[in-house]
Amino acid sequence: MPLQLKAGLVITGVIVLLSLLAPWIAPHPWDTISMRTRFLAPNATYWLGTDEYGRDVLSRLLMGGRLSLAMGASATFVSLAIGVPMGLAAGYFRGWVDEGLMRLADVMMAIPPIMLGLLVLAVTPPALWKTAVAVGFVYIPPIARLTRSVTLSLAGEDFIQAARARAESSSYILFREILPNAWPPLIVEASLRVTYAILLGSALSFLGLGAQPPSSDWGLMIAEARSFLDRAPWLALAPGLAMCLLVIGINLIGDGARERLDPRLKARVGKVS
Amino acid sequence: MTAFILRRLGFVVLVLVAVSMLVFTITALLPANVAYLILGSFAPPDQVKALELKLGLTDPIWQQYARWAAGFLSGDLGESPLMKRPIAPMLWEAVSRSLMLTGFSFVLIALIGVGLGMLAALRHGRALDHGISIATYIGIAVPEFFWSIVVIIVFASWLGWLPASGYEPMSAGFWVWLTHLIAPTITLVFGHLAHVSRLTRSSMIEVMQSPYVNAARAKGLPERVVVFHHALRNALLPTITVLALDFGRLMGGIVVVETVFAYPGLGRLVVFSIQNRDLPTLQAAILVVAAMYALANLVADLLYAWLNPKIRFGGHVS
Amino acid sequence: MIRVEDLTIRYRTPGGEIEALTSVSFSIARGSTLALVGESGSGKSTVALAAMGILPGEARIASGKILFDGEDLMALSAEARREIRGSRMGLVFQDPFSVLNPSLKIGEQVGEGLVHKRGYTPKQALVRAIELLDEVGIRQPEVVAEAYPHQLSGGMRQRALIAGALASEPELLILDEPTTALDVTIEAQILELLETLRARRNLTMLFISHNLGVVRRIADEAAVLYAGEIVERGPTVALLSNPTHPYSKGLLAAIPRIGERKTRLASIPGRLPDLRTPPQGCRFASRCPFAQPQCAASQTLMESGARAVRCGRADALVGVPWPHLDDGAGVSEPVRRTTAEPVVMVENLTKTFTIGHAPWAFEGWRPTRKPICISPVNGISLEIAAGEALGLVGESGSGKTTLGRTILRLIELESGTIRIAGEDVSHLPQSALEPMRRAAQIVFQNPDSSLNPRKTIGDLLARPLVRFGLAPAAEVPARVKALLDLVRLPAHYQDRYAHQMSGGEKQRVGIALALATEPRFIVCDEPVSALDVSVQAAIINLLADLKDRLGVAYLFISHDISVVAHLCDRIAVMRHGEMVEIGPVDEIIERPKHAYTRKLVAAVPRVDGVSGGHPA
Repeated sequence: MPLQLKAGLVITGVIVLLSLLAPWIAPHPWDTISMRTRFLAPNATYWLGTDEYGRDVLSRLLMGGRLSLAMGASATFVSLAIGVPMGLAAGYFRGWVDEGLMRLADVMMAIPPIMLGLLVLAVTPPALWKTAVAVGFVYIPPIARLTRSVTLSLAGEDFIQAARARAESSSYILFREILPNAWPPLIVEASLRVTYAILLGSALSFLGLGAQPPSSDWGLMIAEARSFLDRAPWLALAPGLAMCLLVIGINLIGDGARERLDPRLKARVGKVS
Repeated sequence: MTAFILRRLGFVVLVLVAVSMLVFTITALLPANVAYLILGSFAPPDQVKALELKLGLTDPIWQQYARWAAGFLSGDLGESPLMKRPIAPMLWEAVSRSLMLTGFSFVLIALIGVGLGMLAALRHGRALDHGISIATYIGIAVPEFFWSIVVIIVFASWLGWLPASGYEPMSAGFWVWLTHLIAPTITLVFGHLAHVSRLTRSSMIEVMQSPYVNAARAKGLPERVVVFHHALRNALLPTITVLALDFGRLMGGIVVVETVFAYPGLGRLVVFSIQNRDLPTLQAAILVVAAMYALANLVADLLYAWLNPKIRFGGHVS
Repeated sequence: MIRVEDLTIRYRTPGGEIEALTSVSFSIARGSTLALVGESGSGKSTVALAAMGILPGEARIASGKILFDGEDLMALSAEARREIRGSRMGLVFQDPFSVLNPSLKIGEQVGEGLVHKRGYTPKQALVRAIELLDEVGIRQPEVVAEAYPHQLSGGMRQRALIAGALASEPELLILDEPTTALDVTIEAQILELLETLRARRNLTMLFISHNLGVVRRIADEAAVLYAGEIVERGPTVALLSNPTHPYSKGLLAAIPRIGERKTRLASIPGRLPDLRTPPQGCRFASRCPFAQPQCAASQTLMESGARAVRCGRADALVGVPWPHLDDGAGVSEPVRRTTAEPVVMVENLTKTFTIGHAPWAFEGWRPTRKPICISPVNGISLEIAAGEALGLVGESGSGKTTLGRTILRLIELESGTIRIAGEDVSHLPQSALEPMRRAAQIVFQNPDSSLNPRKTIGDLLARPLVRFGLAPAAEVPARVKALLDLVRLPAHYQDRYAHQMSGGEKQRVGIALALATEPRFIVCDEPVSALDVSVQAAIINLLADLKDRLGVAYLFISHDISVVAHLCDRIAVMRHGEMVEIGPVDEIIERPKHAYTRKLVAAVPRVDGVSGGHPA
């Protein structure tokens, strides 16, 4: 296994595990306000310090990780669930189906993701699950495009012609012949999309259109910490670094997996001797 | 080639029409009612009814769209019900400020990103490559809003070199103007450098392994000629497309960065109008963003075609 | 001119270090041509890269010397080697489609060596490039010099590459499979060009090829590479007409030759040894029918006169032919089913693709755009009887593959009629084609592409049985085993995935897959073109055997006339979508009526040297 992949799995695994176990391992209640312990710098009791309401930053960080991860995963699920069938249909049937679906994707891609997300969220009062759906919606076009191009190249393979020569139905060809071969690049892409989704989701939260206080994901934690940058920089740094670590971890997994899937990248550049 | 340009232009127009419809439809679903916005939340219902009739808000949505689109084409973007003043001058001012910011950032991103990517590719597998790779990993992982906070902590709070936020026109003095631009520019550059450099790197590595680069070496050409004359041009083709996409991402990036740095540009206008349910302003602003993005993609397409002889010159000779 | 001594090269790979070349030695005198012959994996291209000094980063020269005009190249600095490269020695690569830079003009690519190595100005270099393009037989060299690679055909690109290699007047020209990617008539032209240039410029050439016919035509001397070692060396004609090393014998016996029909080809069993741990003794021993215990000892290349051979039993084997191994190619009596009607009847079949549109123009007052169309299948009529093999030959772009797939309705036809097993299937909807799909199957060129990589061989073979309900569920495993047995693969292969098998084994599965529905007709679309000669022979034998035993009819598509002539009963020749000639094999080969057929037959390079092969 490439070093990249190993490192990525370890980093991501630890963060996911800690977040999942948050309610049981958090050292303090995440939402108990205590005016006596406001703005404590990191110390032995409060490893990452406390915030403006005297709440333990570490506990909030662990709970926030659950929200951020859930957001990234469910958003990616939404874009896969809609984008993959779209891309399969466009790539296999070609013609007007392809034309229609891909022009729709073009239109969606003509608006920068964060603005599209803002636009979708503007319609309803903010809530985290809506942010997840909006983010998932925003990332449908890239998933659909990738699926389409993978499908296009697979459709040119002879085993698809062989299936047609056996009079197989379109749905058999799409789901039993093409899809199993399309998964590897899609999974790599999906893992990278999770990071995009986490980043975009937290940016929306940061702008106030995601998680709502008192529960907060990492984006909102950073937003809330903005006013106290001078007094308590750890408030912003803790969730910021946690998010970086998570995104780096997932990226390492994606790149490591890609390298395993694409033997071309394994070859090293020729050097003149 | 002319046909190609015309086709692309036609496509841009179509996309913009579709985007305008999409934007109009979504905003029409907004719970906020323009009439309430103008009259205040506690206005008597009969007054609201009367105003809605006057503004045409009870007409079918396609009629409202047609009216709005016609106004847009004639340069009349309507009036912001919130700020009670015409949208057009307000919007153009914001656009010009945002273009300054994105323009600066874009040039820096393109130059530094392509440079770093090439450097990493040419030192593939060596220490410098690993260093750049690790840096770009971090670059990709750090969201803009976090960068902006780091930049504020470092440059404004600790070092005190730059103002933490705001904007000053050039009339207030060149230095004052510039110092207000630097912090948001640094943030945007940090946030977007990694993508460009990573793509340049992988595309350059691929080209350096291609048979024609090997063939150029077999001719005994100096390495400098192999890299700059044979490889670079082909390696930059995909980078151009990504740079255009990145311009679009920058237009998205300004939403966060302008909010954090209280920079009065397009991004802040969008957030402000969403938070205050100012529909007409929101519609106009997003359409302008989409238009700028579409134009950037058009330029990239044309540049790509111009650099790629397969598109510039079709067919066979003799 | 060039002398390679004891060259050993190793490659680092993810699976461990492999030895690509093991103490290879040869020399070429000024003005003569040495051919390095070998199948894939023999290490022949590595020799070219090492001689030029452009080995990839993962390669390591473990030992050896390369002397060029008496000078040790390895001892030179990188800069000094670069000076020699491209001025005194030139390299022509195999694939003319990817070695030209897509974004630079041909003229610049031909002349750039002169600019950087001879101090020409770009303008002078362009003038010289045009002269060189003219010399390699390109018409309108001024126009071509201004063109980009994608605007040229394969043959023109290869000529341009040769022109580029010649630009700096090299003394040594290394050619790595220079004609493999080209059609036979173009190949013949390029070989003729090389002969002319060699005589005119007194060139020394190292010619790397897997094609013994080409080697016979161009080289004075030949060296046969097997698994990184030279196993035999000698004057070309002597070596090819009287091979001494068992591998050379096998290779020559495996080649189908025009005019020798209806016998099974000899084939070489087994596969290349694992080069991560090459065998201590003779590397060919595990595949050699003459092997004896003494072959486990290390073998040396023993010289006798002009020839050298790496086989301890060479003296005992002089004149002994390669035996006819039983690779399952039993000589069974042909089962001919006598049916009144042919299995396949195609009448006036036409398929047209629209590839673009002409610019807008006015037709009267109406603006119109005329579509630009090509017809890869244009009014083709043919019949194939039960148990008959019809060979379909033609060069790339002649429409062979399109015809095959249109007959099977994998590509929709435009007009004409197709009858398969008596049923008119030309206008049935796809959903009504089930009986036809059972009766007519297809074998593809590239088994890597035709076997779904995510399914086991057992699952692949079971699917057609299930799909057509040919066997109750309980019997499917037994039927799968029977299919594997039919193509002579062991039963345990059903648990493997495609990537766990060799090329020849994969193609056997491809054939089994086509046979699963018990078809009466199979389109074989270049089924042996992707395979090495020794493997190709076994597959051809298998196909011939199945035809005789099962009475299945073939439309056998190939660019290789020798293969078609060997296997088929009749031959159809296609060109630009039209059928120029159809008839019994002997007629086509010996008394071709159409000028194009004559040209095609004459261009085939022959190992036995019956014909020098000059295009008419």
